[in-house]
Amino acid sequence: MKPAGLLRWYPRAWRERYGEELLALIQDTLDEGRPTWRLRLGVAWGGLRERAHQAGRAVRAAVKRGAGPDLWAMMLVAGTIVAQLPENLSESPPPARGWQAVAAFDAVLAAVALTGAVVLAGGLVALPALVRFLRTGGWPKIRRRVGWAAGATVAAGGGLAGLALAGGSRSPAQLDASWAYLAGFLATGLVVAVAIGRWAIAAEATARHLTLDPRLRTAQLMLVAVTPATVTVVLVALNLWWSVTQSPAWLVAVPVFLGSASVSAWLRIRRAARKGRRLRAAARTGR
Amino acid sequence: MAPSGLRRANDPPLLILVSLADGPKHGHALAKDIEDFAGVKLGPGTLYGAITRLVERGLIEPLGGDDRRRPYRITPPGSAALAAALADLRRVTSAGLARLGLDPA
Repeated sequence: MKPAGLLRWYPRAWRERYGEELLALIQDTLDEGRPTWRLRLGVAWGGLRERAHQAGRAVRAAVKRGAGPDLWAMMLVAGTIVAQLPENLSESPPPARGWQAVAAFDAVLAAVALTGAVVLAGGLVALPALVRFLRTGGWPKIRRRVGWAAGATVAAGGGLAGLALAGGSRSPAQLDASWAYLAGFLATGLVVAVAIGRWAIAAEATARHLTLDPRLRTAQLMLVAVTPATVTVVLVALNLWWSVTQSPAWLVAVPVFLGSASVSAWLRIRRAARKGRRLRAAARTGR
Repeated sequence: MAPSGLRRANDPPLLILVSLADGPKHGHALAKDIEDFAGVKLGPGTLYGAITRLVERGLIEPLGGDDRRRPYRITPPGSAALAAALADLRRVTSAGLARLGLDPA
């Protein structure tokens, strides 16, 4: 591997700032020789540490932006699902409370459909600008990120298919007792989360290149602000369902979700409205 | 405790600050100087990781010039952090030498 290839371990922003300097140092150190394994490992380790550092900074920035309650709620629900699957799928609600479980489950489906509709609407609003961007040669600017997201999606699909195959012939109780299944479940959950994260990164990178009308931009900001609220409805309805099929103790989580999500949603919607007003004002001044 | 996370005598950031205390240097000159005065051989990855953190914390800053061999210099906050870290180390060193009966003072 040539010294320049070692830079691939580092994040792009770091390479742009320090890459040439690091290469010069490596060349000075080698004095016409080839990089040793020790040097390669040292540089690779440095690159991974830099990536970890950037990831930590991104998480801190997300928390600072007010995404904290959402992250916390997502972690809570992930833990809940891991703790409850798959045995909760085999439980039936008491006959007298069957309608409550059905209503909660219908609410989950409705909220999922509403979330999907909001996300779809956000995409449709930006579609003409995306087509313009791609027609004017924008694809190379987003190809790498979309490629990563597609790769992670394929890996997630493989993991889910593997789980379905592994669990198909066994009862929920057998699956619950299997450490291998649990490990596969956790690994797949991680890959699915990475895939979702990579698509979010790809979408954000693409959005930076699009030119949207201020009114469309405002509409999109509001849609983005509303999405976590619909996700909260899903979480609350899931907890209601579990409270019927499993234990009333699940009701404890409802005010927690509602409280954290209300604060977060309120802050997001207020920020979106303020930014929309600024965008429209800037557009009027420009005209 | 020294500020800015400079805790041990062989910490790369501390060694870099010591090296820059007598004037600006680029990466290779830093690595050579540190090996000379401390006997510590810093690899390119470790050296640039430490340089990145020091620049972020405003303890050192790049100077203009050649993009490939850009020199760095210590900033006033960097000098203050280095002085505090060295004072901490001196206190520990003095205590250790005194307890061993090796302290000339």
